[in-house]
Amino acid sequence: MTTEPIVKNQGFNERQIKRIFWRRMAIVLWVSFFTAAVESMVFFALFDPAYLGQLSSFGVDVSQWQGYALGFMFFWVFTFSAALFSGLVLALPRTKLAKRNPNA
Amino acid sequence: MSNQDTKPVELSLYKAHEKIYPREVKGRFQFKRKLAVWLLLGLFYLLPWISWGGEQAVLFDLPQRRFHIFGITLWPQDFIFLALMLIIAAFSLFFFTALAGRLWCGYACPQTVWTEVFIWLEQLAEGNRNKRMKLDKAPWTREKIFRKFSKQFLWITFALWTGFTFVGFFTPIKELSMQVWQWTLGPWEMFWLFFYSFATYGNAGFLREQVCLYMCPYARFQSAMFDKETLIISYDEQRGEPRMRGKKRREVENPGDCIDCTLCVQVCPTGIDIRDGLQYECIACAACIDACDDVMEKSGMPKGLIKYTTENALEGRPTHILRPRTIVYFIILMTLVASFGVALVNRSAIDMNLIHDRNTFYRIVDSATIENVYTLKVMNKGNEAAQYEVNASGIDGLKVVLGMNETGISAEPGQLVTVPIKIQAAKDAANKKIHTIEVTVTKISSDGSDSAAEKVKYFGYNK
Repeated sequence: MTTEPIVKNQGFNERQIKRIFWRRMAIVLWVSFFTAAVESMVFFALFDPAYLGQLSSFGVDVSQWQGYALGFMFFWVFTFSAALFSGLVLALPRTKLAKRNPNA
Repeated sequence: MSNQDTKPVELSLYKAHEKIYPREVKGRFQFKRKLAVWLLLGLFYLLPWISWGGEQAVLFDLPQRRFHIFGITLWPQDFIFLALMLIIAAFSLFFFTALAGRLWCGYACPQTVWTEVFIWLEQLAEGNRNKRMKLDKAPWTREKIFRKFSKQFLWITFALWTGFTFVGFFTPIKELSMQVWQWTLGPWEMFWLFFYSFATYGNAGFLREQVCLYMCPYARFQSAMFDKETLIISYDEQRGEPRMRGKKRREVENPGDCIDCTLCVQVCPTGIDIRDGLQYECIACAACIDACDDVMEKSGMPKGLIKYTTENALEGRPTHILRPRTIVYFIILMTLVASFGVALVNRSAIDMNLIHDRNTFYRIVDSATIENVYTLKVMNKGNEAAQYEVNASGIDGLKVVLGMNETGISAEPGQLVTVPIKIQAAKDAANKKIHTIEVTVTKISSDGSDSAAEKVKYFGYNK
């Protein structure tokens, strides 16, 4: 991940870099899990997964439990991607700024 | 973000976790915490076993999409109640935080409560703080294996029971216990049982304070509800400093009351030193108060070197319980609670939906009568089968004819019935282009009090 440039500049050793990476991954996992759980709760309070299965373009036949589980995984994939993306862009790469004209 | 202030945040990300061995402590606040643990966990473990009118009193029946709560059945259509309840919970949290700080964290949060129990079990198997620290450093002797094994056994058993109870809120627990006994659990019950057990075991056994420090969103934003009048746990710096211990105290003229015994640090479940001031790691469990009070008593000094106090009180100003923040929170909270109560009492067991036929505005029945056609959907949200009658008002002489030669509408509990209905009116009475009429669905019963109504458009005979 792009954690490396920033941490290398601060003089972290290999173990610490690994630790930072896994802690960030844990945060991404936890945040996405939590939001996916809340989303599923609200979504399935409003929609019955058994009906949705019949309405979907693939015409899958799912029971309620399977629907809840599939729906949760579906949400989790997207919240995980979103959180991962945030984690990725939060870890700014360190680059040198070009020297600018002081009179500009 | 290149200033020096951001550095500590990065620190917490790469610092290796040090295991915390909270020292056991007794005292008035720990007594209250124990009481809370027994009360809340007692509620959790016993509630699924209670019956109400022959059914499980609290059962969240997800496959059937209905919640049974002490004789009330809630359907997905009653989503508003769930939403209201969550909003009430949130505002209670805000209110109590503004008033008394992190009461939730210290006494009621499941993380705290289950961690307490896991620490008790750990003490039972491995002994007190010193013994536990020694045991972890010691080589693997027979005694260490035995003690570690007993701890794991206690933890896993307790976690499995917790997982089982959790699933018992969603599947009738008596059948579930039979299924567990005969080992005929369905895949979902099995998954959730082990998942929740594992979560309990991991969170309360290993993660502990790290859940509060790194994972909990409330810990990060609770300070927003704080002001100078909020109860916090604080060390009285003016009284305590300069802290010193033992011999040194006799050599100095005016030593502070703090004898630097570090008991407040040893008992802290999140491993902080309360003498450094208010920190976000503090879950307000008041263990340091009890520990310090005990020490102060033994050394013949007044109690309360660490105590529940407010920032204002520390600075010698009066503390106000009534202030705009608490008053506003309280008013909002009470309004929500009242509207929840009123809505619940007036909740109808009938859910109806009426849609006008899309193809025709009206049909001519005979020379003097027209009719509008609708699709009526009625859902029985009650606990028993019911029959309904349909009436319409808004134009003189409206007559409701149920379609498909039906004589009445009946629905089983939870059933959604779809009936085409025709509403007939005299041409002379329905002479405007569009009328608004009200259609009422009433449950046929001895008291006959339950009904639902909906206003719809009625297209008149207008030439």
